Amino acid sequence: MVVLAASIISKSGKALVSRQFVDMSRIRIEGLLAAFPKLVGTGKQHTYVETENVRYVYQPIEGLYLLLITNKQSNILEDLDTLRLLSKLVPEYSPSLDEEGVCKTAFELIFAFDEAISLGNKENVTVQQVKQYCEMESHEEKAHKLMMQSKINETRDVMKKKASELDKMRMERGKLDKGGYSSISGPRVIEKTFNDMSITGSGFGSGSGLGGLGMDMDSFASKPKGGRPSAAATAPGKGLGMKLGKTQKTNQFLESLKAEGEVILEDVQPSSVQSRASPLPPSDPVTVTIEEKLNVTVKRDGGVNNFDVQGTLALQVLNDADGFIQLQIENQDVPGLSFKTHPNINKDLFNSQQVVGAKDPNRPFPSGQNETPLVKWRIQGMDESSLPLSVNCWPSVSGSETYVNIEYEAAEMFDLHNVVISIPLPALREAPSVRQIDGEWKYDSRNSVLEWSILLIDQSNRSGSMEFVVPPADPSTFFPISIGFSASSTFSDLKVTGIRPLKDGNPPKYSQRARLVAANYQVV
Amino acid sequence: MEKPCTLLVHFDKGSPSMANEIKADLEGSDVAAKVDAMKRAIMLLLNGETLPHLFITVVRYVLPSEDHTIQKLLLLYLEIVDKRDVASGKVLPEMILICQNLRNNLQHPNEYIRGVTLRFLCRLNEPELLEPLIPSILANLDHRHHFIRRHALSAISAIYRLPHGDQLLPDAPEVVERALTGEQDASARRNGFLMLCACAQERAVAYLLTNAERVAEWPDLLQMAAVDLIRKVCRSPNRADKGRYIKIIISLLSAPNSAVVYESAGALVSLSSAPTAVRAAANTYCQLLSSQSDNNVKLIVLDRLHELRASHRDVMVDVVMDVLRALSSPNVDVRRKVLDLVLDLLTPRNVEEVVMYLKKEVVKTQAGDLEKGGEYRQMLVQAIHSCAVEYPEVAGSVVHLLMDFLGDTNVAAAVDVVLFVREIIETNPKLRVSMIQRLIDTFYQIRASRVCSCALWILGEYSLSLSEVESAISTIKQCLGDLPFYTVSEEGESTDASKPAQPVVNSVTVSSRRPVVLADGTYATQSAATETAISSPAVAPGSLSSTQNLRSLILSGDFFLAAVVACTLTKLVLRLEEVQPSKAEANKASTGALLIMVSILQLGQSSYLPHPIDNDSYDRIVLCVRLLCNTGDDVRKVWLQSCRQSFTKMLAEKQFRETEEMKAKAQISHAQPDDLIDFYHLKSRRGMSQLELEDAVQDDLKAATGEFTKDADDANRLNRILQLTGFSDPVYAEAYVTVHHYDIVLDVTVINRTKETLQNLCLELATMGDLKLVDRPQNYTLAPESSKQIRANIKVSSTETGVIFGNIVYETSNVMERSVVVLNDIHIDIMDYISPATCADVAFRNMWAEFEWENKVAVNTVIQDEKEFLDHIIKSTNMKCLTPPSALDGECGFIAANLYAKSVFGEDALVNISVEKQADGKLSGYIRIRSKTQGIALSLGDKITLKQKGGSS
Repeated sequence: MVVLAASIISKSGKALVSRQFVDMSRIRIEGLLAAFPKLVGTGKQHTYVETENVRYVYQPIEGLYLLLITNKQSNILEDLDTLRLLSKLVPEYSPSLDEEGVCKTAFELIFAFDEAISLGNKENVTVQQVKQYCEMESHEEKAHKLMMQSKINETRDVMKKKASELDKMRMERGKLDKGGYSSISGPRVIEKTFNDMSITGSGFGSGSGLGGLGMDMDSFASKPKGGRPSAAATAPGKGLGMKLGKTQKTNQFLESLKAEGEVILEDVQPSSVQSRASPLPPSDPVTVTIEEKLNVTVKRDGGVNNFDVQGTLALQVLNDADGFIQLQIENQDVPGLSFKTHPNINKDLFNSQQVVGAKDPNRPFPSGQNETPLVKWRIQGMDESSLPLSVNCWPSVSGSETYVNIEYEAAEMFDLHNVVISIPLPALREAPSVRQIDGEWKYDSRNSVLEWSILLIDQSNRSGSMEFVVPPADPSTFFPISIGFSASSTFSDLKVTGIRPLKDGNPPKYSQRARLVAANYQVV
Repeated sequence: MEKPCTLLVHFDKGSPSMANEIKADLEGSDVAAKVDAMKRAIMLLLNGETLPHLFITVVRYVLPSEDHTIQKLLLLYLEIVDKRDVASGKVLPEMILICQNLRNNLQHPNEYIRGVTLRFLCRLNEPELLEPLIPSILANLDHRHHFIRRHALSAISAIYRLPHGDQLLPDAPEVVERALTGEQDASARRNGFLMLCACAQERAVAYLLTNAERVAEWPDLLQMAAVDLIRKVCRSPNRADKGRYIKIIISLLSAPNSAVVYESAGALVSLSSAPTAVRAAANTYCQLLSSQSDNNVKLIVLDRLHELRASHRDVMVDVVMDVLRALSSPNVDVRRKVLDLVLDLLTPRNVEEVVMYLKKEVVKTQAGDLEKGGEYRQMLVQAIHSCAVEYPEVAGSVVHLLMDFLGDTNVAAAVDVVLFVREIIETNPKLRVSMIQRLIDTFYQIRASRVCSCALWILGEYSLSLSEVESAISTIKQCLGDLPFYTVSEEGESTDASKPAQPVVNSVTVSSRRPVVLADGTYATQSAATETAISSPAVAPGSLSSTQNLRSLILSGDFFLAAVVACTLTKLVLRLEEVQPSKAEANKASTGALLIMVSILQLGQSSYLPHPIDNDSYDRIVLCVRLLCNTGDDVRKVWLQSCRQSFTKMLAEKQFRETEEMKAKAQISHAQPDDLIDFYHLKSRRGMSQLELEDAVQDDLKAATGEFTKDADDANRLNRILQLTGFSDPVYAEAYVTVHHYDIVLDVTVINRTKETLQNLCLELATMGDLKLVDRPQNYTLAPESSKQIRANIKVSSTETGVIFGNIVYETSNVMERSVVVLNDIHIDIMDYISPATCADVAFRNMWAEFEWENKVAVNTVIQDEKEFLDHIIKSTNMKCLTPPSALDGECGFIAANLYAKSVFGEDALVNISVEKQADGKLSGYIRIRSKTQGIALSLGDKITLKQKGGSS
């Protein structure tokens, strides 16, 4: 049942190519091949020769012999089949059937032999199949390559866009000239980071294995995932390069980067005080985070089901020594706004002077990497006019297609970042055809959701629309539409205006960030 | 075991490629150049270069390449590169570098890259390298592309079978079994199933038995594997569930794929020796025989049937007619095998039928003028001949038919017929009358001289009644034509005129001269050999239509035939005198015969023919003349009775020899004292012997790969040791020579006899003759008074005495120049390559005439007895004597014998010895050696010259 070797030799016994399929020593195979021309007689009408130990099954091809060496128990019918296949393969791979031609294409022939005989066992293959196997054309590889390419392109596009956006932002900032921050240096740094990333982009994951440059896709994709959340939350400056894994992530990364814009600016400011006071941690000794979460449910044909804002003021103190402070806050007077303070906060002080301080002056605010929520608030009973973003969806069936028109309108109060409007679609085989769009779209086939994303909604694009076509579907399938965005100003406009130390000395440096995020914003 | 060699590529030494160039190309970015460089690197590696520094280059520059061809070449490179340290046998540390690449390849999006990588892993033997890849291999089992699954299964199989492979993949059988259940691809299923067969037989059996119903629908590849498994399983004795397997096999006997059918038939025979099973197998073989058109298949199937015949003759007898049907194949080899087989299967019951069939075939050859018709007819005649000898009762039905072929243009067939007739007429007295009548009727058709002479003898010997004798004489006369053969006027014409004689005669003389021209002069007198070699000219041309066949033959100068005619006539006349009541008639016949003889003599002595009559024939004819003129009782007795007696004796002798041979054959199959004894009654089936049979299958593969060599006789081992250097040389070396079929292995022991370390010690060998060194020599360092075993492989490509020269070169630390010790020559003996063989007498003569190389050695020996000398030569040349011992009997002072041997390369060696005892008691004569190639003739001649002295030496 086993073919020992498939060989091509010249009539004089010179072994041109031979592929062995079982372990045998070199001298043995050479001896067998050299003996063959002497064994093969002339004028015989059969094409096999048996010796004491082996059987040769052969076929003359012009000036050469193509032969299989098998053991004597081997199945002659199979072997002849195999030989027939090989004899068809040889001219395919070796155009000139002489010694020189065969030597030249020796390796191609070996590859072909390998496909026709798998470890000595016959394979049921045709010449066409062998050719296909040897050509190694793979759809999957092509698809994979295309995917890689598109990913690279996408990332590059996003990068460019971000860069230009940041440029624009910088210009705006320059105009507005908020506070005393250096508005120029920040974006530059970001830009620079991007450039760095684009250079080293292909080198990600190179540490994961030996020589696995750019090929180890899995590790490439998974590594950043693990490292990301903590980096985004606490150490924004660290490991920037790790986060360019996916566009989505880049967006999030940039989002948080922008939310922390000021912090970064301060960070890069040369400050002798800071370097003396806190040589180790990169961020400020005191950080105040103000965050408002939106829980909104809007009915599809107008009216608000639920509109609820929950806010938190949280404090992070790095060193114990800086914990003896009080915060002076101020906020806009919004109807329906109600505060709640931490039990350890001096309520009287807060209610009378809007100062957040501990009940027991000898007890500092807790320090460390954790944020301590100090004040919570809610805003209730706001009406539709206060919605930061309203979305209208108009599905209409026409013939064999359903046209869906969606438009958004944003309130002037906020500049919204990373707006993503997710429209559920009926299960589709292919992506819907988008006729018109302000912004970008992406079709997530697994969840069959169309994501319309607008990176920034500001004065220039307070309203926008999109139109896409899908096969006929019930209008209700396009709901609930969920919307995600963030903004850097809040409803309550709560701010920390100053820090007063309880003990002697200079007030510690502090930074604050404020943001509004849509936690659950749906059109039902 | 030596390192296995997985591929060979012819390497042209004319274009040496330097390692540096390869390196530069590999480092470059040009894909085509890289591919080329990889190819060159592989070829260099194959050619014995080690290229140790190239590996890192390959790792750095070739591994990351995306090109598919490069990746595949890389796998070939990895396949042949040394992965282990030569000294310690440990895996080289840098090899671990390829693991990552292999792992990436196993996860490559291209399914073919994955597939070829998995295939490469099948050939990887290093568990250290395989271990990190195991998870990736297992992951590939679930890939949706069958190309990958196939190879993943074989890779798992190969890994599991490695030593300690079960530690690498402890759950491999379960995994494979699971994969097998869901698998659809035929090849993948086969690979998985084979894995189970090899590693977890009980699982494979379970799988087979659960699917027993569906086996017939399985793809052929899987069916083959199943048959293989059944064979293996049933090897273990006393399988109670054998029936279930046999059921599966029986269902496979009707499979659509003929390969499966063939395999199943073989398995069935090994499974059971029950007549039913054997009959089923034999029938299957017969079906294959008739359905397959390929000659190779037919021949091998016939081989299988031969094997069956050896063990189950009784069953085979029943299928003899089916086998005979294969005679319809036009191939001579197939027909010969069929006839061989059939002749062994004759029984009184079927002989009639067989002979009828053969007869029909003979008639067929007459009708269709086939190219090989003559040869085939000869075979058929021989077959019928042997049938008739064994079962004389059938002779009557065929002999008349066969006698039609006496005038066949194929001389060999006609000779066979006439010999057959001669034997039958003696052994079958009942047929004599009709046969003689028939012979007389057809005599004029006989064209060949040999057939003629034999037919004449029969006529002379067996024409007994008056009418027979008379018609025999008249037939001969008729065939001779009008007397005289030649007249004076013709002589005058031919002498005074320079033009050639009559046109009729002219053409005849030309044809009779042809043998002389053809057999390149020297060999013209060897009539026996030339006659068969060029048989057609011996038939007188231009006379086919005439009835005077004897006349034209004699006119062509065949005086031997003329002598036979004379003898026959003498014999007939003598007999006529006994049976003819009328004296006058007898005398008339006698004078007629005398006239013919005289005419022949006259023709022989004329200048009309280029050659005058030879002395032997002349003497015989003259003797006949004298005899007829002066008859006596004792002479009469000699002529009329002794001839017949000696012929009878010859036939008896022949019969005796055949029975002797049969007995000898039977003797061989007798059990050896230490053989296993099968007690039939203690065993339900002769299953045990199948065990040995299956072991033979295993050994077969091992023998084929050269892994398996019989242990040499230990006593003879030491005789093979050759001392290569002197005892006082700084380096002592001796070699133990092992001669395998196609290669010679020298195991050289080198001993440092000095107190210094020898550096760069190298055993350099050079060869003469058809020997080739396989490996290039390596350098060694030899500590003081230590020894080292060096092994050298030498390839042999033809039978020829070869010489291996060599020297040992080394350096010592204090002397910078290299020292050389020249070694004793090693002579490779031709006797290791030739083995005694037999061939038919005719074949021997044909070869003798055909072969170009002759070496003639004059006998020079101290041996006094010619018989003893012959034995001595046979012994020292390892040949077989073809001349039958009966022909060598007796003391007559001379001996002539033919010896024959065959080399492992299939070359023939022919030797003819003719010696004569001189008056002084010494032997003289010649030994002639002939072969197709110069090598054998020369080396064998040398050998004989060396050994013939014999005697006391």
